[in-house]
Amino acid sequence: MKKFWLAALAVAGLSTGLAQTVVKLQGFGGNDTAIISSLLKEVVNPAVEKDGIRAEYQGIEGDYKAALLNALAAGTAGDLFYVDIFWSEPVFASGKVEPLNAYFTQKELGVFVPSLLNAFSFKGKIYGLPKDFNTLAVQFNKDLFDEAGVKYPNQADTWDTFKAKLKEVQTKLKDVAGLCVVADFARFGAFAYATGWKPFNAQGKTVLDANFKRAFQWYTSLVKDGAGRYAQDLGAGWTGQCIGEEKAAVSIEGAWIGGFLKDKAPNMKFGTTYLPLDPVTKQRGNFVYTVSWSMNAASKNKQAAAKVLKALTSPEAQNWILTRGLALPSRGALASSPVFQRADKTGELNRVVFNGSTKQGGNVLPFKFGAYDGGDWMRPINEALQAVITGKKSVDQAIADAQAEINKLVK
Amino acid sequence: MEPRRKFDERYLARQRWARAGWVYGTMLALGVFFIGPFYVAFLGSLKDNPLEWPFRATFAQVLPKNWAAAWKLGQQGAGNPLLGGFAPGAVIPFEVTYFVPAGTEPATPTVTVPERRAGAGLGAIFDEVQASQYAQVSPVEEVSRRPARVGEQDGQIVTYRFTISYPRGDPTASEELPTTPRLPLDVEAPRGQVFLTATLDPNRLERRGRVASWDSAAPGFLGYTFKNYVRVFREARDPNTGSSFFLRWTANSFFVSLMAVLVNLLFASLAGYALARMYLPGKGLLFALIILLMAVPQQAMFISNYLVLRDLSLLGSLWGMIVWIGIDMAKVFLMKQFFEAVPREIEEAALIDGANPITTFFRIILPMATPALGALTIMTFQGIWNEFFKAAVVLSGQQGSYTLPLGLSFFRSAYGVAGDWGMMLASAFLSMIPIIILFVVFQRYFVEGVSTSALKG
Amino acid sequence: MQSSKRSEALYALLFLSPFLLHLLIFFIFAFVRTIWFSFTDKTTLNESYNFVGLQNFVKLFGEERFLLALQHSIGFMLVVTTIQTFLALALAAVLNQRLRGIAFFRTVYYVPSVLSSAAVTVIAIWFFQKTGFLNTFIGWVVAHAPVILALAGIFLLAQAVQVALERARGLPVAPTDPALAAISLVVAIGLTWVLNAMGLVVPREQQPPEFTWLTNADSFLGLPIPLWSIVILNIFTTIPSLMLIFLAGLQDIPKSVYEAAAIDGATPLQQFFRVTVPMLRPVTFLVITLSLIGTLQMFDQVALMGDSAPLNSIIVMAYYVYNSVFSGEGRIGEASAAALILAGLTFVVVFLQRTFGVSEKAH
Repeated sequence: MKKFWLAALAVAGLSTGLAQTVVKLQGFGGNDTAIISSLLKEVVNPAVEKDGIRAEYQGIEGDYKAALLNALAAGTAGDLFYVDIFWSEPVFASGKVEPLNAYFTQKELGVFVPSLLNAFSFKGKIYGLPKDFNTLAVQFNKDLFDEAGVKYPNQADTWDTFKAKLKEVQTKLKDVAGLCVVADFARFGAFAYATGWKPFNAQGKTVLDANFKRAFQWYTSLVKDGAGRYAQDLGAGWTGQCIGEEKAAVSIEGAWIGGFLKDKAPNMKFGTTYLPLDPVTKQRGNFVYTVSWSMNAASKNKQAAAKVLKALTSPEAQNWILTRGLALPSRGALASSPVFQRADKTGELNRVVFNGSTKQGGNVLPFKFGAYDGGDWMRPINEALQAVITGKKSVDQAIADAQAEINKLVK
Repeated sequence: MEPRRKFDERYLARQRWARAGWVYGTMLALGVFFIGPFYVAFLGSLKDNPLEWPFRATFAQVLPKNWAAAWKLGQQGAGNPLLGGFAPGAVIPFEVTYFVPAGTEPATPTVTVPERRAGAGLGAIFDEVQASQYAQVSPVEEVSRRPARVGEQDGQIVTYRFTISYPRGDPTASEELPTTPRLPLDVEAPRGQVFLTATLDPNRLERRGRVASWDSAAPGFLGYTFKNYVRVFREARDPNTGSSFFLRWTANSFFVSLMAVLVNLLFASLAGYALARMYLPGKGLLFALIILLMAVPQQAMFISNYLVLRDLSLLGSLWGMIVWIGIDMAKVFLMKQFFEAVPREIEEAALIDGANPITTFFRIILPMATPALGALTIMTFQGIWNEFFKAAVVLSGQQGSYTLPLGLSFFRSAYGVAGDWGMMLASAFLSMIPIIILFVVFQRYFVEGVSTSALKG
Repeated sequence: MQSSKRSEALYALLFLSPFLLHLLIFFIFAFVRTIWFSFTDKTTLNESYNFVGLQNFVKLFGEERFLLALQHSIGFMLVVTTIQTFLALALAAVLNQRLRGIAFFRTVYYVPSVLSSAAVTVIAIWFFQKTGFLNTFIGWVVAHAPVILALAGIFLLAQAVQVALERARGLPVAPTDPALAAISLVVAIGLTWVLNAMGLVVPREQQPPEFTWLTNADSFLGLPIPLWSIVILNIFTTIPSLMLIFLAGLQDIPKSVYEAAAIDGATPLQQFFRVTVPMLRPVTFLVITLSLIGTLQMFDQVALMGDSAPLNSIIVMAYYVYNSVFSGEGRIGEASAAALILAGLTFVVVFLQRTFGVSEKAH
């Protein structure tokens, strides 16, 4: 009998010891699972442990947006989760996301890069803190350029000189493409922005004008003129896969490619430079991709979640991520971090991607399309790109069709 | 009409033999058609790059030379010939051979033990102990040099040797040195110097042939040949608990399948018996209704079921799936068929003894039904083990409670981006093992189950 | 007597109650609720919703993706049902022999039907990749076409010569005589080998694959190429089950019927079409009905393909319904309407098949 009581006591003791509030975090799968889980283990959980809080991360593979919305509807969503700027507005409007103004002072919010923070405000309230951000840059495989005897792409390149270099690499190496071209506004759009074109004009309409056409013509000509191959023909879904498998010499991606290449091609010697300049306007264009940490309005642990959120976006946390070259900080003060001056390939990648959001990036817009779901808005343009790259339509025909489709959506 | 000349006996016998030969030949060809795809996919699952072109049926992982080398290296690395590793005290001699075209002076390759994370995403979470911290590479020395002609080119074949060792630490130190699961190795030579062979064939050549790279230079037999299978268990782990996802999903699948079998064994046979034997007004109507409902697609019902399970807070839980699976109409039919074929006299004798229907059912009817219950068990288990739709509706987003089919779908999106086909194929084959065992042992039930239940149901 | 009957009925109800409860909640209530939802604008995110009449149905028929799904589902059903019924019947006829070891082959052929759709689909996606095995195999056949054609040509020639010789000797051999065919095969293999060794018939060099299955935007016979991949996959995995059903039906046909036909002088081919096919009518009806229902409800393969192929090129009705609920917006109203259309379509197709196609009665 004595044994039984001892055991019971032990169990009781164990359960009080375990009486922790568990804050569930949800976000992208892939590398993010690794990054955030390590961040929680090394920085966040030690910081919130004293309050009896433990944070756990679950990465969602596949269609994150659908999974999050389902989880919100089903009541199985985490306490904190990523919201991508790309489709943030409809989610904030649904009332399923908690405004953060009650949990953070103005001073606490003021440390974030204002444009990033504004991207997550809706009807005057803040619905998410920017986790980090990314822009596009050009990565190139140095071995391939050396082998072809072609000069590396650099920041003085215009579309024409850039294309000439790609074409030379593709011609000389034969089994390697210059660029692997994707039919995706998320890449092509940066070139359209370089011409000064904007997704919405002053009247809020999307007009595929002459500037847009110039960028469109150049981008689709890469395949036709032998400076690149269509990604699908190379059996790849994104330009990172092409460069990782040495099927293409150049890719156009953000800092996320660093983790991928580290795994897929750890020995690759690659360099990073800015997107080429539009030869007419002499400027670049770029996107800012960003994701927020937002809070579940139905969470049972809002106070604990707010504490975790603070720890997640603390200077220590952002510095931890930055020094490991995993993502770029959303806190303005970290821009001068020595990490950006490192000479290795990852340092260069991060520096160029970070600067892509500044003046050097040129005409930079957030990867967001008003109140429209980004996917719906981009679809007609992506289809037009694909039709021209695969030779199914002429440039004029494709743009006219896309314009007609967009007009149905943007009233 | 002129009379037919008759075939003689020997001719007819010859014809019979030939016909049998053609039939067997056809059947073999059909066998290749049905099994061949799985065989080539299995070969693919062993490769470093399952999508390589041109397709090779012979590659590093199936060469006995590499099996022997991997076994030996695993032994040298950590005393583990199967899974390999790198333990204190290990001394691993290694050789690489290059072809150097005439006119160029052979250059000694650079050997490094790099820091290497295990896989993308899930695998990279865990701070694996890196062999690079402990490994010591001896100076690379040239062993031999002989003139040779490779392809169209003259030149020489040069072999280099080096040793990777893991010095034993201070024996008085309080902490023992760790054993690392892998020993990554990169050997780099200048361009133009063509890699020919090595003690163990490398996992890939990088940078257009300059770097020969091994995931582990001490892999062990399984670690080399079944690398992707080992990775399924080692790399796909829950970031919070560190336990293997794949084992968890397998356990989940077993749990759901066995619970569904139990539920159906009991309730489907009860219902089948009542429908077959007992008096119930409106039985015909009920019957018609069931037949009608069987033709309604489940898409027309899952929306409400999803909401019901949500209101019961059963979403994301294995119990939610079990409740929804419930009692299968087809299984009720199967049992009804069976009981209808049982002679009435047996139970009538029991009823006359004054036993009530419940006692009669459990004491007399159910024990007689073992063959039907066997078929029901096998069919239910197989059906639920493979069930994807209900799992996708109930369990989505809750990785810890996935069943195997959903887990495979998760792997497909997790590793599909990186094109990691080795992981995907290996996990698909692993998930088949229980069903294949079941099939081999109980194949009669499978084959007969389909034909009889379909024809008479 | 009356009271014992009542008690038996009560016991029957008791025995049936778990089953009936499950049926009531997860089938009857669920179906009725789906009908109700189809007239509302309910979503998963919002608790409140309104009655909107037939608006969902009207909206669906104006939506491109729904129309694609409808078109794909019908096309998929027609193609798969036709091909797999014929192939399963042919296979069953081959396997319906009294030969040693035939049970082993039956078991082996059944393997693709036993495995989970998830595992098989993952393997299939690998198979259909641009440098996957299917393209490799097709490339191999194309490259070896000269050899294969030579082999086939020599075989036919040898067979024709032999049959002519035998007939000249007065033996009424059939053109398909198996013993002569065996000799022809040996001759063909030998001659082809010789031609190959002499360098007269050599395979061409295999070209890298150009054709993509899963990311191809083209259509063939009105169905997108990625959907054809699923057609191939689905036929491959369901033929074995259907073949077994046919086989069971074949074995139920009494031998005496064939003997009678043989006495009447019917050739094996005539026997097949005059005896086997009509006697198999009830089984064929069952197979076609099962196949129609199965193909209309095909879901797993599309869901598991995921982003391996563009959604619009593989979407079918069953996946459309699921996707409407789970793609984010949680459009329960429209999903319910689409589900009802799918249910209606199933009933109509089964009814039409029964009335105008193969009926369940023999003769």
